[in-house]
Formats: sequence, C-alpha cells, structure tokens
Amino acid sequence: MAETVPYSEKLKKWNRMEAGRFAGKAPVTTLYPLADVEKPPEYRGIPHINPEKCIGCGACVNACPPNALIMEWDKEHGVKRLTYNAARCIRCARCIEVCPTGAMEPTTRFEIATNNKEDLVEVVEHKLAYCEECGEYLDFTERQIEYVKNILPKDVFDAYALKDRMKLTQEEKMRKTVEKLRETEGIPVSAFMLVKKGGEE
Amino acid sequence: MVKTKDLEAHFEFECKACENGRCRKASLEKILEEREGLKEFYEAFKENVKGCKRMTYGQYMFVLDRKVLPEAVLWWHNHPKFKETHLSTAVGTDERPLDGKFAYMPFLNVQVEPFNMDRNYWVCLKTYMPADDPSFPSVAAKLPAALWIEREVKDLLGFKPFDHPDPRRLILPEDWPEGVYPLRKDMDYRYSPIREPKTEYREGPEETTLVPMGPVHMGIEEPAHFRLFVKGEEIVDVDYRGFYSHRGIEKTGEGRLTYNQILFLAERICGICGYQHSVSYAMAVERLADVDIPDRARYIRTLMLELERIHNHLLWVGIAAHMVGYDTGFMHAWRIREPVMWLVERLTGNRKQYGMNIVGGVRRDLLDYRNEEVLRVVRQIREETKKFLDIALNTNTFIKRAEGVGILPYRIAKAYSVLGPTARASGRKIDARLDQATKSAMAYHEVDFKVPVYKEGDVLARVLVRMDELFESIWIVEQLIDQMPGGDIFTPIGKLPEYEEALGFTEAHRGEVVHYVMTGEKNKVYRWKVRAPTYNNLPAVPEMLKGYHVADAPLIIASIDPCYSCTERVQFVDVNTGKVKVLTEAEFNELSIKNRGVF
Repeated sequence: MAETVPYSEKLKKWNRMEAGRFAGKAPVTTLYPLADVEKPPEYRGIPHINPEKCIGCGACVNACPPNALIMEWDKEHGVKRLTYNAARCIRCARCIEVCPTGAMEPTTRFEIATNNKEDLVEVVEHKLAYCEECGEYLDFTERQIEYVKNILPKDVFDAYALKDRMKLTQEEKMRKTVEKLRETEGIPVSAFMLVKKGGEE
Repeated sequence: MVKTKDLEAHFEFECKACENGRCRKASLEKILEEREGLKEFYEAFKENVKGCKRMTYGQYMFVLDRKVLPEAVLWWHNHPKFKETHLSTAVGTDERPLDGKFAYMPFLNVQVEPFNMDRNYWVCLKTYMPADDPSFPSVAAKLPAALWIEREVKDLLGFKPFDHPDPRRLILPEDWPEGVYPLRKDMDYRYSPIREPKTEYREGPEETTLVPMGPVHMGIEEPAHFRLFVKGEEIVDVDYRGFYSHRGIEKTGEGRLTYNQILFLAERICGICGYQHSVSYAMAVERLADVDIPDRARYIRTLMLELERIHNHLLWVGIAAHMVGYDTGFMHAWRIREPVMWLVERLTGNRKQYGMNIVGGVRRDLLDYRNEEVLRVVRQIREETKKFLDIALNTNTFIKRAEGVGILPYRIAKAYSVLGPTARASGRKIDARLDQATKSAMAYHEVDFKVPVYKEGDVLARVLVRMDELFESIWIVEQLIDQMPGGDIFTPIGKLPEYEEALGFTEAHRGEVVHYVMTGEKNKVYRWKVRAPTYNNLPAVPEMLKGYHVADAPLIIASIDPCYSCTERVQFVDVNTGKVKVLTEAEFNELSIKNRGVF
C-alpha cells in the first residue's frame, strides 16, 4: 500500500535541483533549455479549465484583468462558449480563486512557447437551457441551473417560486406574472408568488 | 511583545476614533487643530481658501483660487520649520462630467518632524478651472520639482501653465496630433491617432558638441534619450527626452477595469518595484473604503516589500559594479541575489509580479515551515553580502570611479524633490515608510530600524546608503517573522464612497511611490494617477551630470537606480560637419576604458 504523505509535508521536502549545486563551487548555472527544470509546487503556472466541473457561470471572465477569458453566447445553436487564451494570460490566478466549482485548475506549467497559436487556446462549450414555454434559449447553461438547484436553500426556492420560474425567459416570466395578476385582481400577494403553479391564491 | 491592539489604543489608530465615513465631514476648526501648520496656512491664505477637507487620516485638502497656487505651493515648500517638505506630485483631473470644471492639485509631503508618522501629513492644494479656460500660473520657474508634472498635465489634459520655462512636449509621442488630450473623459481609451512627427529638441550652449545617448538608453531599461552637450570630455549641459514607452495605463485603468483588476495592472507598471505599486494602490482604495486590513496581512505585505527591497538593492549594486567595469562584483551580487528570488517564488508563486495582493488583504498565507526558510535565506544573504562588500569596497576599480562623481548637493536635491536613497545620500532625511502614516497597510511602525543618511551626495554614498538599507531590511524581515501575528489575511471591502479621493504610498527602493485614486460611481475608479519615484529623480540627473566626463555619464545615470540595459550603440554627431558616426558596443567600451584614466 502506498504511503500517503500530507501535502504540506510534500511542500516542505521539495527543493530545487539547482540548490545543491548552488551551495558548492562553480558552475552555478543550469543548462536551462537542455536540462529539464521543475518548478516548485507553489508556482503559479498557466491555469487549465476542467470541462467536467465547469458550469459556465462566467465568474472567471468577470475577474480576469487582461481579458484572457472570454464568454460568448450563440443563441442560434444554443451554445455558450468559454474561451481561455494562454497568450493573453498574466498568471494572476484570480480565475482559480473565484471559480465556484473548482473547474479552473492551477498547474505549474510555464513553457508555453509554440509555433501554433491555437495550442494556447482552450474552449469549453456549454448547452444553454431553453424556455419551457416558448422554446427560446435562456442566458444560462443547463449546468448553471442544476448547480443553483443544488446550492439554494429550500425556503428561498419556495419563497420566490423558483421551481416554476427558473426555466423561463424574461419575457415569459413577465407575461405569466401579468396573466396571474389579471386572474387574481385585488389580492395583496407579491406578484411572483402568484406564478406558482397550483398555488392556493 | 507589543500587541497591535495596544498600539491602536495609544495612537488612536486610523479612523477608529470617529465612525466609518464620518471622518471626512469634520468641521473646519477641528481639522485645522489636528496638525501643526494647517492653521498657519489657513490664516495666511484666508481670502483665497474656498474649502478645507480631510480626505482621510493624515491627508488634507485645501480648495484654492488658482491665482495663489504658486505662492501656496512655495509657502509649504519653503516653510522654515518643515525642512524636508517636498512637492511630491500633482494630479490633473477632468471633472467636467461632475461639475463642468477641470481640477489641478499639487500634493505636498509635509514633514513636521522626520520619521514621525503621527505628526507628518499630506497636503493637497486643489484648484478648479473653468472648462473653456483650463489655465493656471506655473510654479516651475521657482520650483524645478514642478517642471515635469506641469508639462504632463499640459500634454495629457490640455491645461495651460502660464510662464512655464520649458513648455515642450513631455509625455505624448512626437507624432501625436495637437489638441487631442488622452486623459479627458470625452476621449475613448482605444483612440490612437497618428500625425507627422515633430521633434522639439533644445539647442545646446555655444561651442559645445552634442553627444546623444539613446533613444534606447544604456542606463535605463526603458528607452530614454539623453542629449549631452560636451566641451571636450566635460559635460556642460543636458537635454532629456523620454516617455517613449508611455502606455496609457492610467487611461486603461479608468476606462475598462474594475478596482480589483487595476491592482494587477498596477503591479505590472514596473518589473522591479511591482509589489510596491500594488501595495500603494491597494492602500489608496482601502483608505477610501475606510477598512483596516487584518494584522497578519499587514505583516505579510511588509515582509514581501522588504524581500523585494533586498533583491533590488543586490541587483542594483551588481549593475553599479558592472558599470564601473568590475564584472566579478556584478556576477557575485547577482549570485547572492538568486536565493531571494527562489524564496519569493515559493512564498507567492512567482519570482516577480507576486500577485500576492488583493484590495483588503493578501491572497496567500505564510505557512509555518516557510518562516524557517525565510530566516535561513536572509541570514545566508547577510553573511554573503558582508563578504561581498568587504571585497568590493576594497577594490580600487570600484572606489575610484564612484567616489566624488555625480555629486548632488542637498539644495538641488530639495529643489527637485529627489526621493529615496538618492536623496538620502545627499543628506535628506526622508523615508516614506516612517514619514507618513503607513499604519493601515503596512507594519513599519511596529518594527525597529534605522534610516541611513549620508552627506556626500556622490555615487559612492548612494552605494553605501543602499547597502546599509539592505542590512536594515534583513533585520526588519527577522523581526517580522518573529512577531508575525495570527488571524485572517483578508477583509472584505464593501462599497466604495463616490467621488472621494485618497493617496496610497510606499517607500520603494528608489523612493516614494504615490498612487492617487478618485472613486467613481458603482465601485469604479474615476481617476487613477501613478507617480513612480524615478519621475522625480530623473529631472535631477542633468544637474548631476554637469561638469563630469562622458565616460561617467552611464554610471551617474544608473546611480539613481533606473533599470539598466546594455547599450547597442552611441551616436556621435559632429556639429561642424554634421557627420554622424555610429559606434558599436565594443568601440564604446574601448572609449570608456580609455577615458577612465582621465581623472
């Protein structure tokens, strides 16, 4: 059975290969491009998107200072596209900090020179959810809606009638609210409560 | 061990005395009572003071008539009691979307008592100008420290300083059209027009030969163009043209980024003192939001700042050794420096551009076992640097070229508002770490250290000041590791107040870095102004060069610690024949070796 070493212990023991040589006499330099160089485990290399964990919320896009992460909507095909371009990345690792699902993964990779620019680009495509009433695509991905269903407390869900309203476009939501208001004129309940299917208005 | 809490009670820490937000609305009498000198100034300029405000702890703003602006600046600068007061920077703002006016505000660092952060303060003299006539009387003829900053607002905002002695273009490129002002709010940050280039070089004194150094300078990493007017070997006069790498960072920050994103842009202003810029910016925003960051975050910030200073000073002394032709020293200084880079790579995740800061704290905690690593590295550096200095300062190559060269007298250093080690080598007692209240963002008031000051003002003094500082930094690092408090490393910022201003500042290894932030609506930044220390030091370089040899010029320029890259060529223009001779690097080196024996 393999012995499990805690991560902090691993960090403690790690030492760079040059260090030993540095303590001795000359030569102190490394034949860098010819010799392999290992970066320490703490090193901030280029990040990598894990498509299995990504929900397409775009938190990383909002946080990214140099616009290395870009979000595009393709409503015709029902696709939300997250593009990461390592050539623009400044390796600040803000995306890793803000990602709610841990889909942005840190690496210690730093040698990204290439003669093909497409090697530097990562694209993740998400299916957009569609409206249950009119069939148009929403702004959110299916995974985003699943994620919200899992994390929101039940009372919030009930209070805002989210179960029924979640998968509707903005127009549908408004239309439904107005319809319900017309039906139940004069009842002092907040409008979005009324949309609830089979409610006891 | 002294707890921070005890000190807070003792010092009435920051804005704790009054509740959040209230401190900006203090009454006039109360504000004038707070610091020495404020009342005196108010009495002297009573008719022309239109308003008085405390921007934040230790930063006061007077709104003045524009006609008294020069007298007001000189009143503070030449105040007989506040000897080390200097004109730190000035900011021009396009406030037309707010109130239809332009604003211009010089900032003075008022030193009631050197190294006492509870008595010193910043004074901002704000003056409003109507939109159709953005002009103000210039102070530059009497105070050379204002030379560049007034040319800057002329270029970027279209202000007109009257009676400016040198109203040439400073920042914008030669091919930028007249009448387009990038920092005005009606210009989009992507707009970049090009016209026919028009150069404005100054004529030299009579019977001198021109020796251009540049456009890519041997002494500075960024391109800069020195034009030396020489008589034989002696430099008589100098003209400078720089800002070839002006990137419009301030405009990008205001136009596109959120306040947390600007932090990372600020860190990339400079490859050497990046963390200082990042801390200064974060400090300005924290001051605006009235947030005290946790103690542990303050200590980690201070630790990183000092580690940065250690490796920068070692880098610089290596370069100085290289400049005088003592390459063994250069190699050894850089070998000694390398473990610090490795250390910060493990502490923060990168050798430079640490990415360690966030507004409201730091992003990575210092794990316990790394404390030993930090101590091991700094102690090793102390031993090796001692050995290195022992050898270098006993090497004639080094001493003979550095001693008595590039002397900057105290008087000129004060007139040009020279900062940092360059100023301290000329006898000025300034150090922004202790001079101004850095309590909210750093922990310098909780550690013990000395600020070395030398009187000689030559290149050797600048070497010695930096080396003394290096040992003080190591001592600070040891204390910080010893006293490191526990707890959180981040506190949320919340909402920023709208249209408020504050300064953030640190003492970088070249001098004081100042960031001015004015907030806009919805947590955006309305105006962001960066003043790097070299901005104040470089105008004084022509004064240092006068009277010395061409061969000393690279060393003198490098002695204020701009970044250094090796020269490709030097162009000699013979004024009589107009013939241009381009020297290769080898020829230039030969020439400088040949001329070494002249003195």
